[in-house]
Amino acid sequence: MLRSFEGFALPKGVSLPLDARSLHLDADVRLCVPDLTELWISELADRLLATRRDLLARTPSEIAAILGRAGECFLERGNLFRLEALELLPSTSGLSPQMARAVLDGMATDWTEDRLSLLLHKELVDPEVLNGFLLRGGREVMAVGPKLTVQVVAGTVPGVSVNALIRSLLVRSPTLLKPGRGDCVLPVLFARALREVDPALADALAVVYWDGRNDSVVDLALEKAEVVTVYGSDETVGDLRNRTPVTARFISYHHRISVGVVGRDAYADAEVDQVADAVARSIGFFDQRGCVSPQVVFTEKGGACSPKAFAQALAAAFERLEVVLPGGHLQVHESSTLHQIRGTAEMMHNRASIEVLHGGDASWTVIYQAEVGPMVSSVGRVIRVCSIEDASELPVFLAPHGPHLQTVGVIGLGARLRDLSRELAHAGVSRVSPFSSVPFPPPWWHHDGGGPLLDLVRWVDLESS
Amino acid sequence: MFKHITNTSYRLIVAELIKELEQRLRSGGMSSWPEDVFNSLALEAFAEQFHSIVPYRRFCEGRGTTPSSVHRWTEVPAVPTTAFKFIDLVAEKAEVVFRTSGTSLGKQRRGRHLVRSLALYRASLVPPFRKYVMADTERIRVLSLIPPPRAVPDSSLSYMVEVVVDQFATESHWLVGARGELDRTMVRSLMRTVSDAGEPVLIVGTALSFLHLIDLLKEGVHPPLPIGSRIMETGGFKSSSRQTTRDELRQRLFDVTGIPTDRVVNEYGMTELLSQMYEPVLKEGPEAAGTHVAPPWLRVRALDPLTLEGLPPGEEGLLAFFDLANVGSICHILTEDVGSVIEGRVQLVGRVLGAEPRGCSRAMDELMSAANTP
Repeated sequence: MLRSFEGFALPKGVSLPLDARSLHLDADVRLCVPDLTELWISELADRLLATRRDLLARTPSEIAAILGRAGECFLERGNLFRLEALELLPSTSGLSPQMARAVLDGMATDWTEDRLSLLLHKELVDPEVLNGFLLRGGREVMAVGPKLTVQVVAGTVPGVSVNALIRSLLVRSPTLLKPGRGDCVLPVLFARALREVDPALADALAVVYWDGRNDSVVDLALEKAEVVTVYGSDETVGDLRNRTPVTARFISYHHRISVGVVGRDAYADAEVDQVADAVARSIGFFDQRGCVSPQVVFTEKGGACSPKAFAQALAAAFERLEVVLPGGHLQVHESSTLHQIRGTAEMMHNRASIEVLHGGDASWTVIYQAEVGPMVSSVGRVIRVCSIEDASELPVFLAPHGPHLQTVGVIGLGARLRDLSRELAHAGVSRVSPFSSVPFPPPWWHHDGGGPLLDLVRWVDLESS
Repeated sequence: MFKHITNTSYRLIVAELIKELEQRLRSGGMSSWPEDVFNSLALEAFAEQFHSIVPYRRFCEGRGTTPSSVHRWTEVPAVPTTAFKFIDLVAEKAEVVFRTSGTSLGKQRRGRHLVRSLALYRASLVPPFRKYVMADTERIRVLSLIPPPRAVPDSSLSYMVEVVVDQFATESHWLVGARGELDRTMVRSLMRTVSDAGEPVLIVGTALSFLHLIDLLKEGVHPPLPIGSRIMETGGFKSSSRQTTRDELRQRLFDVTGIPTDRVVNEYGMTELLSQMYEPVLKEGPEAAGTHVAPPWLRVRALDPLTLEGLPPGEEGLLAFFDLANVGSICHILTEDVGSVIEGRVQLVGRVLGAEPRGCSRAMDELMSAANTP
C-alpha cells in the first residue's frame, strides 16, 4: 500500500507556501515535500530567530531533559513514534528492516537525558557557562550558542540528522535542518515527539526537506544563519561553503575514509570467528555507508591466522551477519557497481594474488589482496582485506589521504596501540576505536576532530581591569 | 579438446576468424546473421579468448566456465567495463590502444581497449555507418567536431571519423583541436561557403561539441545548411555540467543550422566495443528516434541488475553486449548502461556511471592507488 509521509515539521502557525510535491522513495512510500519560495524560507528563518528568547530562558540541563524525553520515545517498545519509524525506515533508507531497527536502537541510545546531560558536561564541563560568565583557568568566560543554526545533512545514515539537531538545540540555538532524502523520517518524527513533550521548544526547530538544487532558497537560509553545518560529499560541502556568508561560521563534515587494522595478537584472547564477527559487523552496519564504516581492513602477517585465512573467516562472518542483519535493497546503479567491482576483482585475481569471496545476491564481498594495490570504488558491503607486514606501515600508507581520514577500527595491537595511534593521529586520523564500537561513537566524540558542542558556540571573555 | 591446440595453431584460428569476419562484414554483412552462424562464431571467438588472455581464462575458470562447457554465447562470462581500467585484455600485440575519455568522476582511471586488428575495426564500422547515416547518398562533405586522430591518437571516435572521411567524404574539415576547442574562424567562414555551394553536409560530433557549435552560431545570422544535410551525434554530456535533453539539443541545432530534427542520427558506442549502434531515423523516420539498432554481429541483452539473468523483451536492465568485432580482445562485455531490448533494438535509459559512494564515506580507489605508489 502506498503511504505518504510529510518530509517536514514546522513551528506552530507556519503553513506551507504552495502545494506539496511528492517524491517516491520506494514502491510503497511517497515523501511529500513542499515547493519552497524565497519569501517563505526567509519568514521561517525569522520565526525561528524569534524563538531564541524563549530558549535562553531555559537552562541547558532543562533542554537536555526535554530532548531526552522526546528521544526516549524511540527506545520504548510499543511507542507510536518508534513504530512509525520502524515501519518507514526500510523503504526510505534502503536498509533492511532488521538493520533499520538496529540503527534506530543504536542511535536512540544516545538521545536519552542521561547521555545528553553527559554530552553537555563533557563538552562544557559546567553547562552553566552557557548561562553566564564562569571563571576558567584564571579568566572569566561565557559560551553563547548561535542565534540560528542552519544544518544541511546527508541522507546516508538515518538518525545522523537527529544527532545534528540535538547538538544545536542543546546550546540553545534555534535550528533549521534540511535532512538528506534518505534521512527524512527520523528528524521529522523527532520534531513531532518534541512537540508532544514541549511545544514551545519544538517551535525553535524546523525540519524541512527541499530539492538541493533550489539555490535561491539555500542562499536565503544561509544568509540568516550564524552557524552553518554541512554533512555530505566534498562537492556539496564545497558548494555550500562558497555560498555561506563570510560572517557565518561554517562547520563541515565532508567525505571520510575509515579503515580497520587486525593486529597479529588479535587471536590471543579470541577465536578467529569472534574477531571476524566483530570486524564484519563494524563494516556491515549502515551497509557500510557511514563515515565510520571501514572500507579496507589491513591485516598483519605473523598472527595465528594468516591474512588470507582471515579474509575467508570474514566472508563466513558476513554470511552469518546476513542472517541477523541482512544487507539492504540495492538500487540499479548500486547493483551495477557491485557487479563491476566483483568482476574486475575476479579478473585481477591472478595478477595481484587477489581472491574474491562474495554472497551472490547478498551484496557482501570480501576481496583479499596479498598486497596493497589499486582497486575500484565501493558499494553495498564490500571490503578489501590487505595483508601487511606490520601495522607501523599504516601511517605512511594513509598519510596521503589525511584530509579524508576518520576512524581506524583496531584489534590485536596490544601494547603497540598507543604509539601507533599517535602516528595515525599525525597522519590525519581523528578516531581510533575497537571494532565493536566503530559504528556508534559516543555523543561527545570529536566528530571529524571537532567538539560537537564546542564547535557550535562562540566564546566571550570578560576581562577585569 | 582445446587444450591440445598449440599457441601457433591458435594464432592461425584467430587470423582465420578475423579474416572470415572481415569478409562477412564487407560482403553485405548487414543482412541479418542466423543465430546458429552467430553462435558458432561467438563460441570460436570465446575459445580463442579463453585460451590466449590469461586473466580472462582465470576469470572464467573461477566461474566454472570453459569453452567445452558453453553451448550458447549467452553463457560466456561477460567482462565488466571497469576491468578495462585495470587490466590489458588482448591476446597478442595490439595494433593500437584506444582509451576511454575522462568521465564525470574526473580523476578516475581511464579504460584501455587494446585493439588487435584495425582492419577488422574498419570493416565493422563502415557498413552500419553507410546504412544508417549515408542511407540516401554515396558521398558527402564532412564537417568534424571530433578532434583529428593525429591530435588524439588514442581516441577510437577520432579514428572512426577518419575512416568515415576516407570512405564517404567529398571534402573534410576538422573543426576542433586536441582539447576540444572549436576553430571559430574556420566554422564561421565554412558555414557561408557550404551553404553557397548548395551541397549537403554531414556534421559529426559529440553532444557537448554541438553545444559549443550552437553557442558560436547563435552569435551571428547564418543561412540554413543545404537540404540533405545531416548530423551524427554521439555521447552524452558526461563531463559537462550543461544538461540538455536530446530533444532540446535537436531543436537548437535546427534553429542554428536548419537541419531538421529527424535528420540527427544518434550513435551509441563505447571504447570497449568496436561496433556501434545507430538510431535508424534516416531510414525509418522520426518514430525510430530513441531506439538504437545493432549490426548483425553485435548482440545486446538487458540483464537483471541483481542476478544478471537475461530479461524478457522490453524490460529495463543492465546492458550486456557480445561483439564479434571484439574478437581480438573480449567479445562479451557487461556495461553500466541501463536500457531495454526488443528484437535487437535498444531503448537506452542512461548510464548509471559512478555509483558514487553516498554521503560522507569515500571511494577507496584513490587510497589504494596512492598506497601502491612508493
